[in-house]
Amino acid sequence: MVPSLSIHERLRHYFVAMGATENNSDQGTLRFTIGSDRTIVNVLTNADIIERNRIIDTLLHLSSLRSEASLLYVAAPKLLGATLNSEILRSTGIGLLLYDDRRIEECVRPTPDSQSVQINQTVPTSSTDTTLIAELAALKSTCTKLENNLNMMMLEFKSLREGTISTRMIPSSSTETPFDPSHRIEPTLHTGIASEGLPSFFSNNPWLEVLSKRGRAEGPLLAG
Amino acid sequence: MTTSDNYRSHYTFGMDFGTSDFKFGPITCGENPRIVNNRGYFPDKRSLVYRAFESTADIIVGDQVPLYLQSNEDLTSRLVYPMKNGLIEKDDDKAWRVVGALCQFGLTSFPVTANNGFHGYNIVASLSAVSPRYMYEQLLALFKQTDHTGNIRAVTVIPQPFAVAIGHGVTTCVVIESGHGNSQICPISKYPIGSAQVALNRGGGDANAITAEVLKDSGYGDLAGEESLVRRVKESIGLIPGDLDLAIAEAKRSPRKFRAKHRVPGTRLEIDLDKDSWTRFLIGEYVFNPNHEIFESYFSRGLTRPRDVKMGETTFRGMLDFGDAIVTSVEKCPVELQPLLYREILLSGGNFSWRVPESMQGVAVDAPTKVKSLLRMKGIKNVSVKMTASPQFSVWHGCIIYGFAVPEDYEWNWQRLEGWLRIGA
Repeated sequence: MVPSLSIHERLRHYFVAMGATENNSDQGTLRFTIGSDRTIVNVLTNADIIERNRIIDTLLHLSSLRSEASLLYVAAPKLLGATLNSEILRSTGIGLLLYDDRRIEECVRPTPDSQSVQINQTVPTSSTDTTLIAELAALKSTCTKLENNLNMMMLEFKSLREGTISTRMIPSSSTETPFDPSHRIEPTLHTGIASEGLPSFFSNNPWLEVLSKRGRAEGPLLAG
Repeated sequence: MTTSDNYRSHYTFGMDFGTSDFKFGPITCGENPRIVNNRGYFPDKRSLVYRAFESTADIIVGDQVPLYLQSNEDLTSRLVYPMKNGLIEKDDDKAWRVVGALCQFGLTSFPVTANNGFHGYNIVASLSAVSPRYMYEQLLALFKQTDHTGNIRAVTVIPQPFAVAIGHGVTTCVVIESGHGNSQICPISKYPIGSAQVALNRGGGDANAITAEVLKDSGYGDLAGEESLVRRVKESIGLIPGDLDLAIAEAKRSPRKFRAKHRVPGTRLEIDLDKDSWTRFLIGEYVFNPNHEIFESYFSRGLTRPRDVKMGETTFRGMLDFGDAIVTSVEKCPVELQPLLYREILLSGGNFSWRVPESMQGVAVDAPTKVKSLLRMKGIKNVSVKMTASPQFSVWHGCIIYGFAVPEDYEWNWQRLEGWLRIGA
């Protein structure tokens, strides 16, 4: 039941099962096309991972292929998983496939490089263009931050003038972004109906009223 | 709108410590929190390979853990699921360190840039209903230790079934929370009625165990040891029978209709129970009622019989079926309350998420229908059994509502085990 194929063959099956077509693979490097994405997979074997230089060499080699493919993977035996800090791969956008005798598992998803080659698209040819684009992106980001800071300062100023505490909003994401005055949350605790802006499970929830009285009136002891 | 309302509508943070998963996130996550396995991995710092690559963390939690799996022979001692039974021993240092790391991981996953309005999150953590007082003490102490970043303003701990009832918006009900390791039946009437709680030493892990036996009997013994695969097979082919004897007879009569097949994604493996496809009904039945005589043959061949286990002050019943467990729990409550409790029975937790293929409806049933059927056998007829709208996240929903609604000046009360323990400024 356990396939006795080489890891290269198994990886071919793995990618073909995902709808990929293989093109121009060579020793140690597999090349596929998935939809419009070109994908390159470098394979490390058990013999390779005991040589630290070999691992570094493979990762550097993969990075150098960034302009040839939008998705880059390194496939390695599961043993490597215990030692490799995946942040290194995440920061470079390289995906990690770990395999053992039975399974191949995608442990780190590769980050597609928008500037890399896609089918029917042109390759950026000048390194100056890339630098320019990066600088423009940095400028745009700085400009947005300044704009947001200005908005926040305006809000603080307005709040101080009105003698109230400013209300800061945070978006539905993992990090805080600047306040958006048009996005106010108006919870109506005692009507039993939560207003727009709060998650839907607040709607008509009778516990809002029950719990808001906790500590105000004596209830039965919470036996536990 | 008060300033306090505004603050809580941004900075309320829920943490659900399930037996298998840790669900966490602030109110601003919306409907769904983040989810990672409730586990931690202790790397072997003596290993040469480890030193060569200079990994630094003492405990690995969250998304990084899968990178370490199946690469060490001593995995069982290094990979710790702190709440696999819902409880942590007081002196289980490793388990508490994992919980601490998860708290830290949860908070650092949602960083807030410093601003004048932010004084730390109000955190509502949820533990198993059978958690003894020392677990509350240890968890609250962990939060105090974790607060070196100033991200915690106040913290409270509530039992999971209570959170489910809150999340579902029902103030008088019986909540059955069934996770990987155990199940808890908890009547609620504005407060959890702790003295009427019943705990079962049975959960999704037991369904995995019977699935492994089914695989062994069908010639897939080499796969039966792979826990994650067994779990996927269970979810793919396991069914709850309306009546086990009838379901087995029907499946044997129409083997093609009930044939159980599972293809393992990304491999060439296909599991096909073929003529033994009737055994797919054993998987669901075992969770709800392991007393059928058919299971005796599995017990005699090595399947561990769910035993009564005393943990802390609570006895977890092994073989009590869900119908008996609900009746036992409700009958510990005042008589006039009992009809109201039967009228709202809520099922929560991943262990109640069972599919019913359209072609098998009637023979296979969903979890609420099975519970109703077990109660009917005990003579309880006027019941309403429902799945919570979001079984996986209902505890977290309850935590968020609790954190939003309970007044911030309600101080933590050790007698009631509720209120806010102030930590930050």
